[in-house]
Amino acid sequence: MTNKMLAPFSNATREVFKLMLDLDVVTETPEVIDTIVGPNDKLNISIKVVGDLSGEIFYRFPKETTLEMVKIMSGMEFDQIDDFVTSAMGEIANIISGNALIGLSEQEVTCDILPPQIIVGENGADTQEGNILSTTVRTQIGDVDLDIILHSSVDK
Amino acid sequence: MIWKDKYLIGVPLIDEQHQELFRRVTDFVEVLRSRDEWEQKVDKVNETLEFMKVYVVTHFEDEEAYQREIGYPDLEKHKEIHNNMIQYVVNVAEAYEQEGFKEDLMQRFAGKLLAWLINHVAASDQKIADFANRKDVSGNDE
Ligand SMILES: [Fe+2]
Ligand SMILES: [Fe+2]
Repeated sequence: MTNKMLAPFSNATREVFKLMLDLDVVTETPEVIDTIVGPNDKLNISIKVVGDLSGEIFYRFPKETTLEMVKIMSGMEFDQIDDFVTSAMGEIANIISGNALIGLSEQEVTCDILPPQIIVGENGADTQEGNILSTTVRTQIGDVDLDIILHSSVDK
Repeated sequence: MIWKDKYLIGVPLIDEQHQELFRRVTDFVEVLRSRDEWEQKVDKVNETLEFMKVYVVTHFEDEEAYQREIGYPDLEKHKEIHNNMIQYVVNVAEAYEQEGFKEDLMQRFAGKLLAWLINHVAASDQKIADFANRKDVSGNDE
């Protein structure tokens, strides 16, 4: 079940990065880990999932990668992670997750997502524990971490 | 301007509107991101916001009319995406007015709008073109 859960998210990330940012990606083989220690200095975007699966998806973007992505989208220079930047990146995470849900629905899994939550800088992200499916999406402008904590809410 | 030719869908009216949307969003972001004080840019920001509120609705209506014309099967789903965006713009404009035209809300609005527009035009609207091509209909010959 686990890899089947990840595939829609890593596929959606690849497609959205290509379509919106003209970036090619390489996705590392996912690992199952028990703990992610927070805080970190990345832009952490969390999207809660409800429905047949429930849990949370984390997208973690390094600062330089974040600023470069917003530059690609806007054609303008950015030197800090501000309201504009977090909102644009939140929307990207939202688009990826929304597309992943379409992928899941093809496996007869029906879910919904909640609006993105953004955690940045020293406050960092909380430590996460549990069955975490973790992978790294490598791009020429930096590596994005993708952590998925999803549990089946129904017996299938 | 951040327009790319891969966004073309091959229907002149829709393509022109998309280019105009990208131009306006670029202008909006440029004014918003300039290093001027907020008081100096707020009028220009408000003007662009007012224009977009109207233009987005016009464009969505024209695009939906085209979808109807070619019998696009996902019209209802596409319309729902458009309506959700209109609702978002209306909500933001209301909150912006109520709280007295503050900058941070506009910064968040512009960031989301930019990402939304790129994805919507590059992905969702492109599917209309894919369907039209498969069906071998052209929007050009009326
Ligand atoms: Fe459109
Ligand atoms: Fe559209």
